Amino acid sequence: MIKERFFLYRKTFLALIVAGIFISIPWVTSDFFVLMAIRVMYFGMLTMSLTFLAGELGVVSLMQASFFGIAGYFVAILQTRYGLPFPFPPLVGIAVSLIIAGLLGMLVIRVRGIYFLMLTLVLGQLVWALASQWSSVTEGDTGIMNVYAPVLFGISMEKSKTAFYYFQLFFFAGATWFLIALRRSPFGLMLRGIRESESRMRMLGYPVSLLRYAAFVFAALVAALGGVFFVYFMGLINPSSVSLATNVEALLAAILGGINTLAGAVLGTGILKTLDVVLSGITKRYLLFMGIMFLFVILFAPKGIIGTVRNYGRSFLSPLMRWFGLGED
Amino acid sequence: MIIHHKPFRPVEGCWDDGVPKKEFRLTIKDEQRRKKMVGKKMIWLGVAILFSTLWVWGTAHAVSEIRIGQIGPTTGWATMFGTEGLNGVKLALAERDYKFKGIPIKLFTEDTKADVEVMRTKLDSFKNRDKVHFIIGPSLGHEGMAAVDWGARNPDMPILIGYSAPEDITMRKATPSVIRPGWTGPQVIFHFGKFCAKDLGYKKVIIVGQDYSYPWDQAAGFTRGFLENGGEKVERIWHPVDAVDFSSIMAKLTGMKKEYDAVLCNSGGAQVVAFFKQWYQFGLDKIYPQILGQANVPIVPMLTELADMALNVYSSLHYYDGNPSEANMKFRESYLKAYGIYPSVIAVQGYDAMRVAFKAMEAIGGKVDDPKAFITAVRQAKMGENESPRGPFYFDKFGNPVQNIYIKKVVKKDAKLMNIAVKTYKNVSQFGPYAAMPEKYMAQPATSREYPPGNKDDYFREIEKYFGKDYMAELKKNNGWKE
Repeated sequence: MIKERFFLYRKTFLALIVAGIFISIPWVTSDFFVLMAIRVMYFGMLTMSLTFLAGELGVVSLMQASFFGIAGYFVAILQTRYGLPFPFPPLVGIAVSLIIAGLLGMLVIRVRGIYFLMLTLVLGQLVWALASQWSSVTEGDTGIMNVYAPVLFGISMEKSKTAFYYFQLFFFAGATWFLIALRRSPFGLMLRGIRESESRMRMLGYPVSLLRYAAFVFAALVAALGGVFFVYFMGLINPSSVSLATNVEALLAAILGGINTLAGAVLGTGILKTLDVVLSGITKRYLLFMGIMFLFVILFAPKGIIGTVRNYGRSFLSPLMRWFGLGED
Repeated sequence: MIIHHKPFRPVEGCWDDGVPKKEFRLTIKDEQRRKKMVGKKMIWLGVAILFSTLWVWGTAHAVSEIRIGQIGPTTGWATMFGTEGLNGVKLALAERDYKFKGIPIKLFTEDTKADVEVMRTKLDSFKNRDKVHFIIGPSLGHEGMAAVDWGARNPDMPILIGYSAPEDITMRKATPSVIRPGWTGPQVIFHFGKFCAKDLGYKKVIIVGQDYSYPWDQAAGFTRGFLENGGEKVERIWHPVDAVDFSSIMAKLTGMKKEYDAVLCNSGGAQVVAFFKQWYQFGLDKIYPQILGQANVPIVPMLTELADMALNVYSSLHYYDGNPSEANMKFRESYLKAYGIYPSVIAVQGYDAMRVAFKAMEAIGGKVDDPKAFITAVRQAKMGENESPRGPFYFDKFGNPVQNIYIKKVVKKDAKLMNIAVKTYKNVSQFGPYAAMPEKYMAQPATSREYPPGNKDDYFREIEKYFGKDYMAELKKNNGWKE
């Protein structure tokens, strides 16, 4: 009886375990780990927006960091220059980011494959050039500083990193849930249909362009959310946050974790950010080691860590995963 | 016949054999459990003792080791700025054998990749992972600005800024825990403007430079010194940061000769080498007298690349490699011995930062675990004539050095190119000639690619607006700056 009920709620149970792990992080680990977790989460949102597009649309975007950065820039400008109170700068920032995604989306959804990559690269670089050169608004390479995280329920997110962690965790979980729900919905199915055969979907009467467009805007929304937390945590924003390097870092994290999966995005970001800190403390040639690691990942595990675990670990992991209802994805 | 075996059900309040539990009785199981418990307790006790001893030992010898974090770009395009600074720090540490009064010093180094997000992660690592006592670095402009912002949020971590030159680190954004034993961009070039106007007698100058904030600052400082001392016009030409083809600019410069007297090269790195080469290819050396340089232009590593093209180039800086002082000679030789090349000003600043830290440590008896005392001691540190390769310096109340500025000229000495000082301006603060009115100086807008204006009339309108009529009258009376 108890066992049956337990089986019935096994997904809730799994969710509770995961939630428990995330919630307990500030209690059981060090301050430094919390800071790292915050970094992984906001950057994870950027990577997730990239893997969402890669997994559902089959395109690689090199401008997700632009939406990330635009939201961040608007938060910084509205807060430091116009002194808007808390909920407005992030709301406006995300809205502006969405509007820009809406405008540019009309352009980029027309192309596919390598052309999508090239077009997003150009547009992303355009945003970077604006951030770097339009110094009266963005303050050039120095960037905008003195951005402080808000005070919520009487707790300053600036002073208490634990509070910041929970604040961000709430939205991070929301964004993850949003993307998972999108994937599971008929909308997600239609997107996968388009990925597999666009002409067939068009023939069946689906509004292919509209669906692609919507997916692009949804991905931008998640990236923008990440950007808001980025600027609150860093306290400053400068053109490097919208640069090609940031885009490529997100892409590398996605490749490392598994470019088609959301869990891979977070895992890849976590590994990349951790290696950055741990390896660089050990050796000055850490970039070399990371390069070699990427070489191995691409040679032997092109689907990333999650994909490889799914392939090779099926035999011993599948009973467990099936039990949790995650067997086939 | 079916026999129903009744399951054994112990009577409540009785032992298994039915005896009431009036008295405590040890069973074999209990005995085993007790032994296990004792074993566990012993382990816990051992752990507790170990930790408490570690903790007591840790607090008793708080500074059993001095931990220093050094940060700078050691990979990527700006490698030179990070590595040389680090070498300077290491040299100063090696001079004392990595020890301070018997206390060993441990140096942690991190790479910023010239990216501020990476840098802040590393600063957090220094603070929370390595538990360093103070930090030296970073090197680049935008890094320094991000570091001072981090410093304001972490006031218990002293930071000695490396080569970063933006004014605001020690002006509008100044914070007690951040001290810069270095320089600001305009600080070193104010007087070069004066020198060009008064000593070289130029009236109109063109500045060609990379389009980002450091060259903007250089141009701004030069413009102030030049226009306030008799110069008439400064024209700025900006090119993309990584441009190496200057043919269109060279053609433009040829045409501008009718009006302008001289050209100042306001770039850095490979762009300077490309600029100098094309300057000679287009024959501009025959049209203009000689090239002028921003603070970084004939920097030591550049001299070997530019070779004779660099001869007679004028520039200004707070350090010159031809300084005959004992401190500089010793520094140059030991650096050459350790790294195989002659040091540049970047290495000097790493070296100086570490020496200032030593001086502060001496003042507080090595108690680096008290950040407040350490910060105060650093701010009060005064480096004498023979304590730094650059000459004497001390800190102003914002944490930037007041130091000598040398007008340098490249000459050939023993078949080696070298910067010598043709003129020395003593004790120049980061506010230059405006040292008496820092508030007014800081009230001005931040420098940009077009601010302050290069046109004499527009420029003086701005000066009158921010510094007042008295200052203008004084300028007129003295025919420029006083000294």
